[in-house]
Amino acid sequence: MMRFSTSVGFALLFAGASAFAADEPAGKAIFDHNCAVCHAAGPGHPGTQRLAQARGPARAVLEQRTDLTPDYIRMVVRKGLIEMPPWRPVEIDDAALAQLVQYLTHGRK
Amino acid sequence: MKQILPQGVGATEFADALQAFRKVVGNEFVYTGEALSGYADPYSIVADDDAHAASAAVAPGSAEQVQAILRAANQYGVPLWPVSCGKNLAYGAAAPRMAGTVVLDLKRMNRILEVSEEDGYALVEPGVSYYDLYNHIQAKGYKLWLDVPDPGWGSVLGNALEHGVGYTPYGDHLAMQCGMEVALPTGELVRTGMGALPDSNTWQLFKYGFGPYLDGMFSQSNFGVVTKMGIWLMPEPPGYRPYMISFQREEDLEQVVDILRPLKVGMVIQNAATIRSLLLVAAVNATRSQYTDKAGPLPDSILRRIMADQDIGMWNIYGALYGPPPVMDTLWTVIRDSFSKVPGAKFYFLEDRKRENDLLIGRADAMRGVPRLSEFSFINWTGGGGHIGFSPVSPIRGKEAMKQYTMVRDRLHEYGFDYMSIFAIGWRELHHVVELLFDRRDPAIKHKAEDVFRLMVREAAAAGYGEYRTHLSFMDDIAATYGWNDHALMKLHQTIKDAVDPKGILAPGKSGIWPARYRRSRP
Repeated sequence: MMRFSTSVGFALLFAGASAFAADEPAGKAIFDHNCAVCHAAGPGHPGTQRLAQARGPARAVLEQRTDLTPDYIRMVVRKGLIEMPPWRPVEIDDAALAQLVQYLTHGRK
Repeated sequence: MKQILPQGVGATEFADALQAFRKVVGNEFVYTGEALSGYADPYSIVADDDAHAASAAVAPGSAEQVQAILRAANQYGVPLWPVSCGKNLAYGAAAPRMAGTVVLDLKRMNRILEVSEEDGYALVEPGVSYYDLYNHIQAKGYKLWLDVPDPGWGSVLGNALEHGVGYTPYGDHLAMQCGMEVALPTGELVRTGMGALPDSNTWQLFKYGFGPYLDGMFSQSNFGVVTKMGIWLMPEPPGYRPYMISFQREEDLEQVVDILRPLKVGMVIQNAATIRSLLLVAAVNATRSQYTDKAGPLPDSILRRIMADQDIGMWNIYGALYGPPPVMDTLWTVIRDSFSKVPGAKFYFLEDRKRENDLLIGRADAMRGVPRLSEFSFINWTGGGGHIGFSPVSPIRGKEAMKQYTMVRDRLHEYGFDYMSIFAIGWRELHHVVELLFDRRDPAIKHKAEDVFRLMVREAAAAGYGEYRTHLSFMDDIAATYGWNDHALMKLHQTIKDAVDPKGILAPGKSGIWPARYRRSRP
């Protein structure tokens, strides 16, 4: 059953906002929909893996970071950073980006 | 951010065109200035940062808006470059071929218009990603499988139009496409195949309709903007069993390919199986710096260490069995017995691969149509993000595969790059997809990558191999290699281009096809 356990976990990451509890931060749904596939915790996430190599395991998982600033997040999302491609406003608009910034800076429960 | 106007378009006409676009889609969906940063080629290989810079972007929400934008572009002579999800990252992403072109960003057109579980198809707009369609099918509980390429965030429609491939038995995406709606460059809307028959209920069931079959004309082309597309979906099979076979020696490639050909052509191997080189598999879970800090080709001793560390081969087949268990058992017996003739061949099922993030875990999802991005960890092998695909096509023959392998390997080593590749097996051909990694921050490395790429294109063509797809920067190079009979095919492309797009506004330079207005002074 190993093959199915992997895919079930993956599907949940992409299930969208409606699958989450109503009291979850709005930015979490944005993160889950757009970022988690590369930046979630655990193996199989290229962004997390790269950050572990470049910045060390303690700074590998974005949702566990406490050092990210709003300007930095906005810059990386809009302009990309080395391996990471930039995101267009039609993918993440400014309102959604603001929610994402809030979630990754101090909006997490 | 400086603005680059399209060649031949004045500032006034350009401003008027943007105003016309705003009237169609609203101010918020026309992007200029800093908002264009997401339209840059993220892994540009050429020295000129502006080579593929957009002047603006416009994002329609419907086919009607696409038509209105095309009409305005004709009125003002402003070129447009359509992108669907814009995630074709190693080929230029959402950037246009010609600097100054306005990107026609179709991402907002993301409706899944229909999924038929009974007949096994979907009708989608360009902005529907594999994740979108996969999640929709899961949410509805349909017993249907997608076929996905490696980057799951790409467009279902866009990938088929770019001749993309996946890994289930439905892996040839354009072959599984059925029926299109196309906005022609002049703004007229056309439906192909049975879609041309009013009230037809077979648009997504029968590809050919009546008369010439035109759908392929809108793939890798600039003859129209595809606004809807049908794609066939595979009924969930009663059983599924992914497998991996590893081979220990470089020279095994020849025998492996010759064994594989009759199995694939005879459909004993049911899916779009792949043969992956050692370093491409290893790079998903390791970096070059773990093994050496020296430049140059990795010595055999290190290659053997990597093989031992990850329990992988110099070459590795990833395939899958589909169907009722007795059918899968029978097929596996034939496949296993066939490849057992290769000395040192090792056979694995998923339960045999216990390592965290083993590639077979990812392939097991991909070969049953579950979208992922996990394999893109391979770009971390050297770091620096840049990667580009060199993809010549050859017959499924061992000697041809070895010839391609040695040609490309030697050139890459000469220029200081590692060889990592996939041999993807189609119906009658091998796609030799070579991943060239480079540090996007290092101009000297980029220069070497560009040089070796152009050299490999020329050398492949001289040996009779053509690429099936390429990055924006190499479209003219590849098109020039398809030059039989004094470039008769390109002349036909140009004749069609001039007929359907007389003002030359749609995607100048796509696949090397330039409209008359730019043909003499190609930007």
